[in-house]
Amino acid sequence: MALRVSIGQYYSATSPIHALDPRVKLVATVVFMVSCFFVSNLPALVLAAAFVALAVGLAHVPLGRLLAQIRPIVLFLVVTSVINLFFVQTGDLLVELGPIRVFSGGMEAALLYTLRFFLLLLAGSLLMLTTQPVALTDAAEKLLAPLERVGAPVSQVTLVLSIALRFVPTLSQEARNIVAAQTARGASLENKGAIAYARACVPLLVPLFASALRHAENLGRAMDARCYTGGAGRTHYHVMRLDPRHDGLAVALMALYLAALAAINIAL
Amino acid sequence: MASSSLPVDTTGRIAPSGMNRVRTEGPARGADAPLIRLENVHFSYPAALAADGLADGPEGEPPRTEALAGISLSVRPGEHLCILGGNGSGKSTLVQLMNALLVPTSGTVEAFGFDATTMEGALEIRRRAAMVFQHPDDQMVTSIVADDVAFGPENLGVPQPEIVQRVDAALEAVGMSELAQADPADLSGGQRQRVAIAGALAMQPQVLLLDEPSAMLDAQGHASVQRIVQRLNDRGIGIVHVTHFMDDALLADRVVVLREGAIALEGTPEEVFAQRDVLRIMGLEPPFAMRLAEQLAHAVPDLPVTGDAGLLAHDVAHRISEGADDLRATGRDVPTLAAAPAHEAPSAQAPGDAIVFDHVSFSYADEASPRRKRSRRHSTRPAPLALADASFCVPRGSLTALVGCTGSGKSTSVELACALKLPRSGSVFVGGIDTVDLARRQELRAQIGYVSQLPERQLFAETVRDDVAFGPRNLHLSDDEVERRCTEALHAVGLDPSDGLMGRSPFALSGGQQRAVAIAGVLAMRTPILVLDEPMAGLDPAGRDRMRSLVQRLRSEGVTMLMVTHAMDDVAELADHVVVLDRGSVVAQGSPRHVFGQSPCPAPGLPAPLAFARELARNGVPLDCEPLTLAELCQALLARLPEVRHHGAAR
Repeated sequence: MALRVSIGQYYSATSPIHALDPRVKLVATVVFMVSCFFVSNLPALVLAAAFVALAVGLAHVPLGRLLAQIRPIVLFLVVTSVINLFFVQTGDLLVELGPIRVFSGGMEAALLYTLRFFLLLLAGSLLMLTTQPVALTDAAEKLLAPLERVGAPVSQVTLVLSIALRFVPTLSQEARNIVAAQTARGASLENKGAIAYARACVPLLVPLFASALRHAENLGRAMDARCYTGGAGRTHYHVMRLDPRHDGLAVALMALYLAALAAINIAL
Repeated sequence: MASSSLPVDTTGRIAPSGMNRVRTEGPARGADAPLIRLENVHFSYPAALAADGLADGPEGEPPRTEALAGISLSVRPGEHLCILGGNGSGKSTLVQLMNALLVPTSGTVEAFGFDATTMEGALEIRRRAAMVFQHPDDQMVTSIVADDVAFGPENLGVPQPEIVQRVDAALEAVGMSELAQADPADLSGGQRQRVAIAGALAMQPQVLLLDEPSAMLDAQGHASVQRIVQRLNDRGIGIVHVTHFMDDALLADRVVVLREGAIALEGTPEEVFAQRDVLRIMGLEPPFAMRLAEQLAHAVPDLPVTGDAGLLAHDVAHRISEGADDLRATGRDVPTLAAAPAHEAPSAQAPGDAIVFDHVSFSYADEASPRRKRSRRHSTRPAPLALADASFCVPRGSLTALVGCTGSGKSTSVELACALKLPRSGSVFVGGIDTVDLARRQELRAQIGYVSQLPERQLFAETVRDDVAFGPRNLHLSDDEVERRCTEALHAVGLDPSDGLMGRSPFALSGGQQRAVAIAGVLAMRTPILVLDEPMAGLDPAGRDRMRSLVQRLRSEGVTMLMVTHAMDDVAELADHVVVLDRGSVVAQGSPRHVFGQSPCPAPGLPAPLAFARELARNGVPLDCEPLTLAELCQALLARLPEVRHHGAAR
C-alpha cells in the first residue's frame, strides 16, 4: 500500500500541455522525435531546443522530474559524444595531441548528435509525464481505429494493454508477499550456482504463476458478467473532442516549427 | 400485461421488443412473478475443477461430485434475498448460475424470461442482473476508477453522454465520487469493493448479485458494503447476497440456507435464525445478539429473537431497570457501579520479551535491502513514514494482537519483525537478536515463523509433503526429522498425515485444506515465535473456529504469537496483550481490558460484548464491570437479571 510501482511517470498538474488531446500530444511528440533526425545544423538545433523549451515551460513539470527521467541514458549520451569527437575525422583539423586529433566535423557531431538526441528524449519523457497511461492507450486506440476495418483487433489489444497496466501493481505486491513468505521459511537466492539458483526460484515463481492464472480466470468471469463480448457495439466513456482553439494552436505551432525547420534545412 | 403470468419460453427466444419494457421493477409483470427462477437445478463441476476451491467438500471428506443437488428457487422483483452457507455449500455456484456464468447440468434456469443455457439468453440476463465478486482486484480492467465503472455501460453500447451520467450516479451511490480519478491500486479493499459495486450499478441492473463481497474486507469495509446494499434495495433494486456472515442476512426479506448443495432452510431471517441448533451444525455463526439471547435463555426465556444488538440492549436494560426500581421500592440496595478496574500499566520492556520494537521508523521511499547492513543512507529528503518511532514489545509466551485500520503500519511491522525489512532508524530485536545482524540471520529465522496473509498463495511444491518440508529442509535437518515434523505439523492443523494426502498436489486440495497445509509448512519449522497476518481472513465460521482453537493450542504449548487481526472479538477472546497502531504510530498497548477500557477507545472498534455493555449504560443500566467476552457479559447480566425474574414472579 505504501509502495507502488507505476508504469510511466505521470505527473499530475494542470497545464496547457496536460490539457491537450492525447491524440494531438502523441502525434506531435512522434513527429517531433522524427524531426530531430533532420536537425543537422546549429540554427535548426536552436529552433528544436526552443520548441522543447516552450513545451516544457508550459507543462508545469519540475525540471528535476523531467531530467530524472532521462538520467539513466545520460552516460550513454556522453560516451557516444566522446566517440564522435575522436572518430569523426572530417572538416578542419582543430587540435592535434599526439595520436589524438579532433576535427571540426567531430566537434559538430559530438555536440549536435548528442543534443538532438537529448531533445528527442526530453520530448518523449514530457509526453509520459503529462499523459496518463490510460489516456495514451485510448489515444492509440482512436488513432489506430481505421485499422479495425481491415481486421486488426485494435480495441482488444488496447484493452489488453489497459489490463496489463492495471495488474502491474497488483502482481508486484503479490510477488513481494510471496518472496517475504518464502524467505521467512528459509528460501534464499544468494550464493548459489546456476542450477541451484534456478531451483531456488521455483518456490517464488510457481505461486506467482498460480496467482496470475487465478487473476486471469476471475477477471475473465467478471468481464463476462459485465457483458464484454469484444469490440463490436461498444461505446466509449471518453469522447476525445479536439478543442479548435487549444489543440488547434498546438497543431499550428507544430506546423510552424516544421516549416521553419524545413526552411533552415533548405537554406543551409 | 399487468398481472399476466411470466412470458416463459424455455427456448429463450422471446421478442426483444417485449423484454425492453421490463426495465422497471416488476409492476408490469405482476408483483409475484419471479425475475429469476431455478427449477430442480443440478450442477457438477468437471472433474478437473472439482478441487479448485469452488466445490470444496467439508474438511476431510472427499469432495462431493455434485456442487448443487436439485435446487428450486425464485427471486422476486425488488426482493432482498440472502443465501447463507459455509464453504463448499454450493452458494457461489448458485449465484453464478443465476447470472448465466455457469450452465446447469440438469434442470432449468430462467431469468427475466430468458433461458440461461442459450448464448443470447445469457447476454440478456447479464444485462439485467449485475454481479459483484469476492475479490475486488479481479474485477477491474483499468487504472482509473471512473473508467472502470464505465466498462459495463461501454460494453452495453450505451451512448456516451448517458455513460457519463451513469458513472457519476453510480459513484455517488457508493460514496466514491471524490475518488473518481484515483487508481484502484491506491484504494483500500473496502473502497475497491465499492468501486466494483458502482461498476455493477452503472449497468442499471434490476437485480444485483453479490458473491461474498465482504469476505476479504475489514470490519469497516464490511459495514460500508452492507449500508450500500441496503440503500440500493430501498431504491427498488433486487439483491441476491451470497455470504457466510449471518449478520448480513438480518436485513434481508428472505433467507435461504444451503448445505451440501441443497436448500436446508428457507424463510424470513427471524424464522431461519430461530433454528439455532440447525444453523450451528451447518457451521454458521448466529449474530452476536442472538448468541447472547441464547445464553440468557434459561434465565429469561422470553427475550426477543433479534439480530439487532441495540434492540436487545434496550429490552434487557428495560427489564433490569424495571427490576431495579422495584428493588429500590422494597428498600434493597441497587448494586452500584464499581470503580473501573485498575488500569494495568503497559508492561515494561523486559529483556525476556520475544519481540521488541525500539523507536522504530520505516519508510518505503528509502527502503534498504534486508540483505545489506544499513549502509546506503543517501536520501535526506523527508519521506512519508510507514512506521514512525514505534516502540512496543511482544512478551514471551503471550498472544499479542496487532490492530489498526488499513494503512496503519500493521503489515510493515510484521515484515520488520520477520527481518524481511530493516528499520530506517531504531532497532527490532527478535529473541534478543537484532534484525540487522546478518551474521545471526540464520539463527533468527529459526526463531520466528511467518504465516502471511492468505498463506495458501505461497504453496508451490508438487506434493503436500514437499511443501510442508520446504522450511525444515532449509534448516538442514535430517530426513527422519523432517518427516517427523511434517507429520506432526499436519496433525496440528487437523489434517490426516496419511500417504494419500502427503502425496497429493497441494493445488488439488480445497481452499480450507490449502490454508491448513500452508500453515503446517510454517509450524513444521517449530519456531518459538509465530507471526500470523490475519489468519482468519476469508474463512467461514467453521474455519475461523478451527483457526481459533489452533491458536489457543499453540499458545498453551508456549508459542509466542503476534497476530494481526481486524476482529476485535478475537482480540478480546484470544489475546493477552494488544498493540494499537494508527498511521504508523503506536497509540496504545497493554492488556485488552486496559486498551478497550480507555476512552475514547484507541482501537478501531470494540468487542461486541463491551459494545453491548456500553449500549446498556446508554439505556441507563451501567454494568459493574467491563465485559470483554460473551461469557463475561452473560455472567454480569445473569447477576442482575435473576433478581428481576424472581421479583417479577413474586409480583
